[in-house]
Amino acid sequence: MPREIITLQLGQCGNQIGMEFWKQLCMEHGISPEGILEDYATEGTDRKDVFFYQADDEHYIPRSVLLDLEPRVINTILNSPYANLYNPENIYMSTHGGGAGNNWASGYAQGEKVQEEVFDIIDREADGSDSLEGFVVCHSIAGGTGSGMGSYMIEKLNDRFPKKLIQTYSVFPNQDEISDVVVQPYNSLLTLKRLTQNADCVVVLDNTALNRIAVDRLHIQNPSFSQINSLVSTIMSTSTTTLRYPGYMNNDLIGLIASLIPTPRLHFLMTGYTPLTTDQKAASVRKTTVLDVMRRLLQPKNMMVSTDRIRHINHCFISILNIIQGEVDPTQVHKSLQRIRERKLAQFIPWGPASIQVALSRKSPYVQSAHRVSGLMLANHTSISSLFERCLKQYDKLRKREAFLEQFRKENVFKDNLDELDNSREVVQKLVDEYHAATRPDYISWGAQEAAEGRS
Amino acid sequence: MSEFRVHHRVSELQNLLKVRSGEGAEVYADLLLKNMTPYITTQVSSHSAKRKIASFTKTPDDFQRKYDEVKSKNVRELDPLVFLVSKLTEETKTQKFLEQNAQERAAEAGGTLTSTGSVVSMTTASGGKMSQEEVSELRNKLLSATSGSSILSPESLRRQRDKARKNAQSHTLAVPAWVYERPFLTGDFVRQTQPSAEHPVALGTLPMSLQEQAVVEDLLFTMMGVDGKYIQARAVNDKHGHRSFNVDPSLDVSMKELVNRVLPVCSHYSSVCRFMEEKSMPDYGQVNHALCAAMRNLAKEYLILVAQLEHQSRQGQLSLQKFWFYVQPCKRTLEILAAIAETVNKGDCRGGAVLSLLHERTASLVGDSKAQDLCLYLTQAACVPYFEILERWIYKGIIVDPYAEFIVEEHESVIKEKIEKDYNDAYWEQRYTICRERIPVFLEKVADKILSTGKYLNVIRQCGRDVKCPAAEEIVYTLKERRYVEQIERAYNYASRVLLDLLMEEKELMARLRSIKHYFLLDQGDLVVQFMDMAEDELKKDMEDIIPTRLESLLELALRTSVANADPYKDDLKVELLNYDLITQLFRILSIETKQEKALQAIDPTEIHISGLEAFAFDYEVKWPLSLIINRKALTRYQMLFRHLFYAKHVERQLCNMWLNSKTAKQYDLQSPRWYAAAFALRHRMLHFVQNYGYYMMFEVLEPNWHILEQNLKSVSNVDDVLHHHMDFLDKCLKDCMLTNTELLKIVSKLMVVCITFCNCIQRLTRTFLADEELQLTAPPGKGKLTDADIRKNKAKVVSEHVDELVSSDSFEDTITNFDRNFSSLLLSLLDRLSHFSSSDCEHNMMNIIYRIDFNGHYTEQLEQFSAERSMMEQQSPDWQPADSGTVFGKFSSGKKMAAKDPSPKPAGGD
Repeated sequence: MPREIITLQLGQCGNQIGMEFWKQLCMEHGISPEGILEDYATEGTDRKDVFFYQADDEHYIPRSVLLDLEPRVINTILNSPYANLYNPENIYMSTHGGGAGNNWASGYAQGEKVQEEVFDIIDREADGSDSLEGFVVCHSIAGGTGSGMGSYMIEKLNDRFPKKLIQTYSVFPNQDEISDVVVQPYNSLLTLKRLTQNADCVVVLDNTALNRIAVDRLHIQNPSFSQINSLVSTIMSTSTTTLRYPGYMNNDLIGLIASLIPTPRLHFLMTGYTPLTTDQKAASVRKTTVLDVMRRLLQPKNMMVSTDRIRHINHCFISILNIIQGEVDPTQVHKSLQRIRERKLAQFIPWGPASIQVALSRKSPYVQSAHRVSGLMLANHTSISSLFERCLKQYDKLRKREAFLEQFRKENVFKDNLDELDNSREVVQKLVDEYHAATRPDYISWGAQEAAEGRS
Repeated sequence: MSEFRVHHRVSELQNLLKVRSGEGAEVYADLLLKNMTPYITTQVSSHSAKRKIASFTKTPDDFQRKYDEVKSKNVRELDPLVFLVSKLTEETKTQKFLEQNAQERAAEAGGTLTSTGSVVSMTTASGGKMSQEEVSELRNKLLSATSGSSILSPESLRRQRDKARKNAQSHTLAVPAWVYERPFLTGDFVRQTQPSAEHPVALGTLPMSLQEQAVVEDLLFTMMGVDGKYIQARAVNDKHGHRSFNVDPSLDVSMKELVNRVLPVCSHYSSVCRFMEEKSMPDYGQVNHALCAAMRNLAKEYLILVAQLEHQSRQGQLSLQKFWFYVQPCKRTLEILAAIAETVNKGDCRGGAVLSLLHERTASLVGDSKAQDLCLYLTQAACVPYFEILERWIYKGIIVDPYAEFIVEEHESVIKEKIEKDYNDAYWEQRYTICRERIPVFLEKVADKILSTGKYLNVIRQCGRDVKCPAAEEIVYTLKERRYVEQIERAYNYASRVLLDLLMEEKELMARLRSIKHYFLLDQGDLVVQFMDMAEDELKKDMEDIIPTRLESLLELALRTSVANADPYKDDLKVELLNYDLITQLFRILSIETKQEKALQAIDPTEIHISGLEAFAFDYEVKWPLSLIINRKALTRYQMLFRHLFYAKHVERQLCNMWLNSKTAKQYDLQSPRWYAAAFALRHRMLHFVQNYGYYMMFEVLEPNWHILEQNLKSVSNVDDVLHHHMDFLDKCLKDCMLTNTELLKIVSKLMVVCITFCNCIQRLTRTFLADEELQLTAPPGKGKLTDADIRKNKAKVVSEHVDELVSSDSFEDTITNFDRNFSSLLLSLLDRLSHFSSSDCEHNMMNIIYRIDFNGHYTEQLEQFSAERSMMEQQSPDWQPADSGTVFGKFSSGKKMAAKDPSPKPAGGD
C-alpha cells in the first residue's frame, strides 16, 4: 500500500518531459526500457510502486496517462525503445488528430468532449491503487492542448478527487524570444487561473530560465529540447526522491508540500539544482560539500525561474526545502544552516516562522554521478509573482488591441462574452497582490484589510 | 562497582544516619561516581594517617590496640579507612554532626547515654558507625581519594562474606561425629584425663649423663606431640593458642637452657598440627586443604628428622648439644609454618584471603632466600586448586567452586531467559560477579579481566558451542606476576575476540541494530506512513477497544508492502500496547527516588484512558545471545524514542491532513478571510514547529549519534565496549530528544496536545460545514440539470457564505486566537527554557533546535521579551512556573482526557 501517484502527461511539451521523466526513473530503479527489472537491481530497497505497478508478468508499468490531441509526440514515444513500457490502454490520442491549434479554448472544449474516455482511464488507474496520494500533471501553459485540455483536466480532477493532491509541473513559455504562438498570453492567463484555483502545488519550470541556465551554466550555445528536458527530468526525479527512497522524513507528497505552502493560494514553487552537468560535459573539477551545495542553491543564477529584480518590493522566501543527495555527514547540515543563518544569505518572510528544511535522501545506486553531493531546492518565493505580472502585461497589450480573439469566440466558453478572460485576469491579479502582501509583516490581516476596502 | 551498588550503599548510609534532606541518594551517588578513581585505595599511606589520629584522640593506646587487632585480622580496606578517619579529624563540622547523630540514636534506642567520646574511638569501635563517616564524607564532598574507600564499607563486605560462607557450608559435606569424638585422632598432644600412674623421680636427683639421656628422649617425644616423662605440655586455653611446656624444675640449669631453646620447635609443631587438622575439614575450602597438604609434606620431613635423631640417640651418639645443632634448621621452618598458621587462624581466612596472605609473606621474605623458597612452595601448592578453578573459568567459562572461594561468584537464580523480560541488565551484571574479598592480592589487577573472560566464554557456551582456548596452558604461581598475568590476558583476548566475532559476524549484530533502527527510529519512514495510513482508525480508539491481533496483522501487511520487506529480521517486530503513555512512563522513570514518586504511583493506571496512539509501541524479539546487547533496558529506550517520534509523526500527519482538507479554500473568493489567514498562519507555525522538531531529532540527534555508534562499533575489542557504546548511544539520543528533562518534555507534550486539539477543532468545523453544504446543494431542485461550472460557482458561494457566517460569529475567531495564544506562549516558554538550559548546562545540541525553529528570527523579539518578563517574574516570586495553558482544552477536549495527558504534578519550579 504505497501512496501512489498517477502522472498525467498532456500535450506536446507534457509528453516530452514526461518521457524524459520516466526514462530517468527507469534508470534510477534499474528498470529496462521494456519494464523488466535488471538483474543488478533485484535487491534494492527502493519503492518502485509509488510510480510503477507490476503487471501479471512482473513487468513494471508506469502509473502514467498519456494524453494528446495530435499524434506526433506520442508516436515518437511509441517508436522509441520505451514503447513497451507504457500501458497502451493509458494512451489517449484524439481521433481526429487535429490538435488544439495552440488555442486554449479549443483544447478546453475538446477536453470536455473527450473527458469520459479520459476519466475511464484515470478512474481505472485510481481504482488500481490502494491509497492514491494524488496526481502529477505535466504540461505547458502556452500551447493549446497542455494549457486548454490541461486546465479542464485539473478542474475535473479537483471535482472528482477533492481529497487528492494535484501537483503540476508547468512549463512557462520563454519570454525572451518572440513566440510562434501569438495567443500565448491568453493561453497562459487562462491556464494560470486554473493553476491558482485548482492545483495544490505548481512547480514552475520557466523556459526562459532553463534556456539561460543551459547557455550560461552548461555552455550550450543553442540548447535543444532534449537537453532542456533532461534538466526538467532531473528536477522531477529529484523532487520525488524522498518518496522513492524512504528515509526519516518526507515520505509522502503531502509532507513535502504542506510545509512549503503555508496558505493555499501561494503554491507556486521555484526550483534550483546544483551541480549541473549534462552528458556531454565532463564533471568540472570541484569539491562539493553540503554548505557549498546549499549556498549555490540560494543563488538566483541557479534558479530555474527567471524573475526580475523589483526594487520597491522586498521579495523574500516563504519557505525552502532542500533535498540533498549523496554522501552527507548529517552534522554538516546543521553547520551549513547556521552559516546561512549568520550570513543572512536568504531573506525570509516577516510574518511567520520560516526555515530551510533539509531532507537527506539516498541516491540511486545504479546511476553514477560525478558529484559527491547534489541538491535540489524547492522554494516558495514571492518574486515568482513577477512571472505572473509579465503574463498580465503581455495579456493587457494583446487585449487592448482585441487581437486574435476570433478563434476563441468560436468555442463554447467565449461564445457569449469574454468574461472568462476578465475573470482570469482578476484572479491572477489577486494572486500577484497576495504575493506582494506576503512580503509584508501584516500579511495575516491582509485579507481582512482587502475585504474592508472592498466593502467601503 | 556498579552505579546501582553505589546508589544502594549511599541510600543505606542515609537511612543509617537518618538523613532526610531534600537531595536524594542519586546526587551523592553521582558525585561519588564522578570522583571515583580506580585503585587509588592501595596508595594511601596509613602511617601518617595513624600518627595523625593518635595525636588527635584522647586515648591513643586504645586506638593503637584496636588498629593492631583489626590489622591482624587482615581486614581489607583498613588503610583507606584509617586515612578517611584521619581526614575526618580535620572536619570539625562533620564530627559535630556525627556526635549529635550518635547521641540521638542512642537516645532513641533507649539505652543509657554513653559518652560517644572522640570520633576516632567511635569509628574504630564498630563497623556500623564507620559508615557514618562515609556519609558525612559525601556531604562534605571531600577528596576523591577518600571516595574510593567510602564506597567499600568493610562492614557490608563482612556481611556479604558471612552470607557467602553460610551458603557454602550448607551444601558441603557433613563430617561424621567420630572425628570429633575420638581424641587420639590427632598428631597433637592429647589431654590425658588421668595422670600417668608412675610418678618419675625428680630429674635433679639423677646424674648428669642420665639427665641428658632422659631429656633427649623426652624431647624426641615432645617433638612428635607426645608428652614425655619430664617435659609435659600444658593445656591450651584457646585452640589456636601457643602451647607451652612444663619442664621438670630440677633439671640442670645448663641443660634447661638448651631444652628451652628446643621447646619452641615442639610448640610450633603443635600449632601446625592443630592447624592442619582443623583446616583439613571440608568447610575450610580447597585452598586451605592444599595448604595443609603442603604443610603435611613438610611435617613429614620433620618427623623423619625426629626419627633420625631417635636413631642416633639409640646409638648413644646424640648429646643435647648435638640435638640442638640438628634441630636448628627445622626450627626456622616450623616457625614460619606456625606463623602462617597463626595468621590464617586469626583472620579466619579462606580461599583468596589465604593466598593473599601467603603471597604477601612470600614477598616480604625477600632477603631470606631459604624462607622465601619455603613460602613459595607453600603458596604454589595452595594456589593449585585455586588456579584450577581459574583455568576452568578463563579457558572454558565454567565455575566449579564447591567451597565458594573463587573470585567470581555465580548467581544461578539470574537466568538468561529473563533477559528478554527484565527491565534491567541483571543477567550480564549480576549473573557473575566479582567477590572483592575473595580476590588474591596478586590477581587484583586482572580481576575484572578474569570476570569478563569467563563471562564471554560462558555466553558462547550458552549458545551451545564448545570453547577451546588455544592458549590454554597451566597457570602456575610465581613471584613474577608477569607470567600468569600474561596468560590471563591471552585468554581474555581470545575470549573477547571469539564472542565479538560470534555477535558481530555470525549473529550479525550490526544488521540487527540497523533493522531496529529502521523500525524504532523511523529510519525508513514509508513503513510508518503506511502503517499509520492503515491503522490510524484503529489506533484512534480507546486502548481497551483495540484488538491487538488486528494491529498485528496490519503491521504485518505494512511490513510486507514497504521497503522493510527486504529486511530479513522483519518478523521479529511485534506490536505492543502499553497501559501508560510515554509522558507518564518517563515521569515515572525520572521521578524514581524523588518526592513525586509516591504521588505518581498513587494514580491507578486503570483509571487513565489513553488512546491507542499513546499506548502503541513496537516490540522486538531478540534471541540469545544478542539479547545481551539488545536487552530489555535498551529496547525500552528504543520504545520510548519510538513513541516520541511516532506521536510527533502523528501530529505532523494530522496537520497535513488539515492542510489537505482546507486546500479547497483557495478556490473560494473569500471576502473576509480573517479566520482563513489566521488559521492558516497558525497551522503553518504548528507544522513548522513539528516538522523542525522532527528534523532536529532525526537529522541532528539520531543520525549523527548513529554514525558515532557505527564508528565505535567498528573499532571495539570486546562485548562490554559494545554494550557500553550502545547504551551511550541510546542515552544520548534520549537526552537530546529532550526525553530526560521533565520540564522540557512537559512543554513539548503540551505543544503536541495543542496541535492535536487544534486539528480536531478545525476538522469538526469543516465536517459540519461540508454537511451543511451538501444539504444546501441538494436543496434547490426543479432547476434542472446544473452545469459543472454552475455547481462549482454555487458551491463556492455557499461555502463562502457559510464561512462568512462562521467568521461573523465571534466565538470562532476567539477560538483561533485562543489557540494562537496558547501555542505561542508554550512555544516561547519552550524556546526560553531551551536557551536557558543550553547556556547553563552546556547542552549545545539543544541550541540547534532553537536555530531551526527560529531560523528567520521570527520569534527572536518575542523571546527576548518573554525572557525579560520571566526574569522579572522570578525576581518577584521565586517559585514561578512556566505559563500554563489550560484554558482552551476545556473547550475542545473532555476534562478527563486532559487529566490523562497530564497526570504528573508540576515540577518544583525553584530548583
